[in-house]
Amino acid sequence: MIVFEDVSFKYAQNTEENSLVKYSMHIKKGECVLVCGPSGCGKSTVIRMVNGLIPHYYEGKMTGNVKINGKTVADEELYDMAKLVGTVFQNPRTQFFNVDTTSELVFGCENMGLKKEEILSRLDSVADKAAVHKLMDRNIFKLSGGEKQKIACASVMTSGPDIIVLDEPSSNLDYSAIVDLERMIEMWKNEGKTILIAEHRLAYCMKYADKVIIMNHGKKLKELGKEEFCRFSDDELHEMGLRSLKNTDSRRMSIYSDTRNKMVMNNLRFGYDKKNKILDFDKIEIPAGEIVALVGANGVGKTTFLRCLCGMEKRCKAVLQYGMKHYNAKQRMKLMYLVMQDVNHQLFAEDVLDEVLISMADENEEKAMEILKMLDLEEVAQRHPVSLSGGQKQRVAVASAIAAEREILLFDEPTSGLDYGHMIQVAKLLKGLKEFGKTVIVVTHDAELIENCCTAVINLEALKNVNNK
Amino acid sequence: MNLNKENKLNGKDLINIGIYSAIYCVLVFVAAMLGCIPIFMPLLSVIIPLFGGIPYMLFLTKVKKFGMILIMTILIEIMMLLTGMGYFPLLIGFFAGLGAELVYKSGKYQNLFKGIISHGVFSIWVLGNYVLLCLNPDSYFATRQNLGEEYINALKGYTPMWIFPVLLVVCMVFGIVGGYLGKALLKKHFRKAGIA
Amino acid sequence: MNEKKRKLYIDPRTKLLLLVTIAMFVMGGIGGSRMLPCTIVLCFIPLFLLLIQREWKNSIIYVLLYGLGCGMQIMLIPIAEGILGMLLLTVCVVVTRILPGVMMGRYVIRTTKVSEFVAGMEKMHVTNKITIPLSVLFRFFPTIIEEYSAINDAMKMRDIRLGGKKALQMLEYRLIPMITCSVKIGEELSAAALTRGLGAPVKRTNICKIGFGVTDYCIFTICMIIYVFWITGFV
Repeated sequence: MIVFEDVSFKYAQNTEENSLVKYSMHIKKGECVLVCGPSGCGKSTVIRMVNGLIPHYYEGKMTGNVKINGKTVADEELYDMAKLVGTVFQNPRTQFFNVDTTSELVFGCENMGLKKEEILSRLDSVADKAAVHKLMDRNIFKLSGGEKQKIACASVMTSGPDIIVLDEPSSNLDYSAIVDLERMIEMWKNEGKTILIAEHRLAYCMKYADKVIIMNHGKKLKELGKEEFCRFSDDELHEMGLRSLKNTDSRRMSIYSDTRNKMVMNNLRFGYDKKNKILDFDKIEIPAGEIVALVGANGVGKTTFLRCLCGMEKRCKAVLQYGMKHYNAKQRMKLMYLVMQDVNHQLFAEDVLDEVLISMADENEEKAMEILKMLDLEEVAQRHPVSLSGGQKQRVAVASAIAAEREILLFDEPTSGLDYGHMIQVAKLLKGLKEFGKTVIVVTHDAELIENCCTAVINLEALKNVNNK
Repeated sequence: MNLNKENKLNGKDLINIGIYSAIYCVLVFVAAMLGCIPIFMPLLSVIIPLFGGIPYMLFLTKVKKFGMILIMTILIEIMMLLTGMGYFPLLIGFFAGLGAELVYKSGKYQNLFKGIISHGVFSIWVLGNYVLLCLNPDSYFATRQNLGEEYINALKGYTPMWIFPVLLVVCMVFGIVGGYLGKALLKKHFRKAGIA
Repeated sequence: MNEKKRKLYIDPRTKLLLLVTIAMFVMGGIGGSRMLPCTIVLCFIPLFLLLIQREWKNSIIYVLLYGLGCGMQIMLIPIAEGILGMLLLTVCVVVTRILPGVMMGRYVIRTTKVSEFVAGMEKMHVTNKITIPLSVLFRFFPTIIEEYSAINDAMKMRDIRLGGKKALQMLEYRLIPMITCSVKIGEELSAAALTRGLGAPVKRTNICKIGFGVTDYCIFTICMIIYVFWITGFV
């Protein structure tokens, strides 16, 4: 069904390294295969070769042969590949072509030029199977991450391909949305679809995977059956740059900090419209000087909480009591710094050094270089911030927060879509900030990150329930 | 792949046109907010060409085939139509777009200088927005004949015909300035950021 | 291209006809003084549609602004003197000429789904070389706005304030990330769309139902009367 023969590939922009080196694999019809490995190991490249984006969209130098159903991908047009292979991507924000859900569901069929009646009947049956009735005819921009991913899966189904590939589909999902995704995979498996998943989070794939391929540096390290793979201990997995096989629900974790040093948010009430209050708390205590994890299901208001806390939502009238002082929204803005989930929004300047300089009250190049050195960014000081890797960008944002002398740093999902090694890097960064005397508050679903570095956990859902009683 | 196929616009090109037109239109709408105060309306022929040069020059890095610039102008004009600026921009825009396309084509779609000139030509579309307002003041003001001869003459004086060639030149000149601005930012940011 | 529920269905092609007609006669003032009654009818159409849509606020704004524009003209003419008076008058004239078109455009954008609009264009035999980029364009507006507001938030947090020498830099700091982020999202979006077969050389299906109804024929009739009236003016 899917055959790779000695495939090598080098992206046109990347002059140094091959993204794939003499890679071979055979996937039979109806198999479910998991491809894993640290970031940059080439698993996304494999996915892109199956759906034809390589070589038809991403340019580069390719040798070897990729065949799907006996057809050579390089000789087929992308729109012909679309009938054979359906793809679910990582980022729910960027994989939709339409503004409303129903148009999105039928988009693939419309492109194939199927008959209207045929499309409508497919739409009906998919809506039943994928349980997306409630989501039809809605504005995609107003759906949650989990709902968006559901639509993405369902719209792959309407096109009815035999092969479905998924490129890190769970990166932005919480625990319950991942359970939904797992169900989707189960259904495909039962229908006899061939499934190829590239993932960091392994736990949810394990139930239905027949085979696991571990990659590194563009090469296949191991190809194992499921039983064999499950025998690996966590430590062994970590050594290969892989995440744990346990699927821990971060909401069940609890770590109590015994510090007496606390900051208190009083009268925290906020909603985006008048009717629905997302946040409604008399007071929330947050331990100071710790690394505090903020957990809770998607939609419970974690990000909103961060936005109110750092003073970005001006309509939120809550007052923070910190040390001996009281801070209103405007004053909090100068006390805190939020590292956003999409850190690209926070990078403005033309090089990294400049980025740090513009945050300083008085521009001081020496001090700026010191900060960069501390965060291991010295070598890239002259690079354009946008051209850096994800982790480096995050550190640049942190550097500008330190330069602006903020005391409290907030992180929104800093490890979504990160492999083990990069997750540990983030954990180290957070620990370093704590030692530096900063308070760190981090919104996360990542149980491993919490285990590794957090010194306190606040469960927003539980707090909400207590408050409601 | 044969030559013919490579010269035909494919899905990727069409999507690119849509994306850059969207960015361009957002900039235009932001600028048009200023134009809400009607006295500033003539200023639009300065502001839009000036800032439009930024996305335009970035867009040109993706243009390799005939028709992309032309389609972009048509899209922008359709947006103008939808926001109530009438059908006239569509006509002027078509020729401005065609002109810009030919200028850039003459540089085999890679000459940066021709790109800047091409933006100057492209910017003429802005003129379309004024046409209906200025073209026949006589007939329009005739509807208010009872309002007094003096008023009509004064208004005619305020929107005289010579304003057209002036605006035309202004659009082109600032279009070229905007092209240079776009080129500078291309070098300063977009190349380094890896998107150009 | 909003999801807001519409109260009255009008075919996208009819909406286009209205936009063009209003632009010609209200904004362009084609046909001169004898067209005045037609112009008045055309000015009422957007108001009528807004009221059906129950957009009370916009209707009031429209009536007030338009009334103010007309009223000021009549009031000012006997007393307007000098540059200032002239400027004020011009403002009023421009407002009364542009406003109906803008309101009509607003109505069209708020009540038409992108796929309907595209379906309408396909019925008018517009090539997919225009309809495809056009749907990307509509899809992309909300994205750019999302990006812009996120960047704006980040700016506020950075405490980089507007003022003095930094004014131009401020613009750069907002504009450049907005464009960069949008382009990056665009690349991913276009990859995703291509894996779903966009750009295939077949005729695209459109499951959107569009077609003319009673309202459409009423509007046609009104427009036809106006055009006929205009043409007879030449005879």
